[in-house]
Amino acid sequence: MPEEKMGGLMSAKKSGTDGHNEGQKVIMQVENLSKTYIRGKIPIHALRCACITVRKGEFLAIMGPSGSGKSTLLALIGTLEEATDGKVILDGTDLTSVPEKLLPRVRREKIGFIFQHYNLIPTLSALENVELAMRFSGVPKKERKERAKSLLEDLGLGDRLNHRPSELSGGEQQRVSIARALANKPALILADEPTGEVDSKTRDSIVRTFKELSEKGQTILVVTHDPEVAKECSRVLRITDGLIKDN
Amino acid sequence: MFDLIIRNITNRKVRSALTICGIALGIFAVIVMGAMSENFHQTFERSMSVTSDKIRVFAESGVFGGGLEDDKVSDVLRVAGVKDAYGLLMTTFDEDKMGMTGKQILGVPPEKSSVALNPVELKAGRFLNPGDSYSVVVGNNIKREYGLQEGSKFEIHDKYFTVVGILDYTGSIFDNAVIIPLETAQDLYNVGDSVSYIFAVPDERVDAEMLSKRIELSVKGTSTLSPGELEVQAKQSFMIFSVITISSGLLAAIIGGLCVMNTMLMSVAERTREFGILKAIGAETRDILLLTLGEASLMGLLGGILGILVGVVAVYVMNAWLETTRIVLFLITPRLLIIAMVFALLIGALSGLYPAYRASKMSPMEALKHA
Repeated sequence: MPEEKMGGLMSAKKSGTDGHNEGQKVIMQVENLSKTYIRGKIPIHALRCACITVRKGEFLAIMGPSGSGKSTLLALIGTLEEATDGKVILDGTDLTSVPEKLLPRVRREKIGFIFQHYNLIPTLSALENVELAMRFSGVPKKERKERAKSLLEDLGLGDRLNHRPSELSGGEQQRVSIARALANKPALILADEPTGEVDSKTRDSIVRTFKELSEKGQTILVVTHDPEVAKECSRVLRITDGLIKDN
Repeated sequence: MFDLIIRNITNRKVRSALTICGIALGIFAVIVMGAMSENFHQTFERSMSVTSDKIRVFAESGVFGGGLEDDKVSDVLRVAGVKDAYGLLMTTFDEDKMGMTGKQILGVPPEKSSVALNPVELKAGRFLNPGDSYSVVVGNNIKREYGLQEGSKFEIHDKYFTVVGILDYTGSIFDNAVIIPLETAQDLYNVGDSVSYIFAVPDERVDAEMLSKRIELSVKGTSTLSPGELEVQAKQSFMIFSVITISSGLLAAIIGGLCVMNTMLMSVAERTREFGILKAIGAETRDILLLTLGEASLMGLLGGILGILVGVVAVYVMNAWLETTRIVLFLITPRLLIIAMVFALLIGALSGLYPAYRASKMSPMEALKHA
């Protein structure tokens, strides 16, 4: 996507305006989200008053230098960490007020994670890794097997179903990871540097997959360093020193 | 979830096998020591049931002190409430083996032999009769060891006795008993009129405990052991024996448990990132607990099965070997097998508890950052 066009589509204001998904319903609202760590006696503000509005089907990139707070933002939205202040409303649920006990259910039903290092279970096959996400949701065995197979086939891994992660290339592992993230049909996919470990050809293929998913209505939030990935996104947010800035 | 547990165990074959062997070793010890205790317990219970209705009267100096003459029997008989009384001489059959085989010579008045042995029944022949002098009634183990039959000759202390009766198997001390007339026994062992103790049979509706006290007060130079006191004393000895045997087994099993805990802690440390991934994709705390605890419990179960199998085989082999010396030391009972199995499972589960707790309490973010 050309830079000029992207500029027109992007919105990085704290108010959280958005671009070509304007007609779509708001799937996520981040309001004044902050995270402060205490190291010794020194407070470290990893994220300050982040406000983002994301509409259904958006393919949103968060860019910023190392340590800028982009992974923290992802962890807070993904309920992997507790916010110091602010709110995350995803698909009508205020995640910041969900009791800790119920967070696994939120992660199962509303969020799909894709990690830089794939984070597949090394002892399970591609099919079993994808099934695993559904297993915790209580999807019946037959159904989860069929769905996992179908997802992997859609991602071009039909001949790799029974291969373990160590028998797959980086790109293949990341596609298994994408299939796992999609398994429970989440409202939002959070991808942390999903192309950080792959070559440019595989990166392009992964980005293409994200775009296709986005076109089908899947909301995707990607943290990336790579401008090549960002330029394919419908919107880019830049973050520096814990502050989301206008693009 | 069970398939994941199995996979985690089989993926670390050598480590899992070593852990399972550690538990198996502990359970093996529980089985062997427990079987020894069970055998002792059964012999004690059966022996008690055979002699529980009688009061034992000893010389004041104790059963090994001597000094209890046969004429004290008439003194005991004179005590109100005593239905019957008779002296018994008890000595080891094979003195050269220090009585380790458990075989005993019982000198009993021939006319009292059926009463003294009641409720033990005869497998063949008869009890001793008045007038018998070199006649012998033998227990079931003695009969098997020496290949005796009714009418066989049996050498005791260089004298030949005729086997007139063979006792049925009782599982008690009477299986190793050689019963001969009291006077013959006194002559044979050159003890004059001495007896080891006197059995006093209480009248019906007479309280044995009270009667026991009355005998002690009425017959000078004696002390008594009522059926109740005997049971308490025997149970105390049995408890001490059981505590020694079972605790040595338990110690071995606890070492097996530490083995599981070590393995599980290592496994949890190695899989920290994996637990983070599981949590990120929606695993509940109880899923992580179940995975870790299930793995530890399954290793406990497998170790238990292996330990029981090896223990049962070892006990069988040892009993077969000891049969030649007439010492039966081990007895496997269903109770022992259940205890060993439950213990193995408990060891596995308890040892897995702390590692499982650690795994389940990890913050998903911290776990994901783990290298």
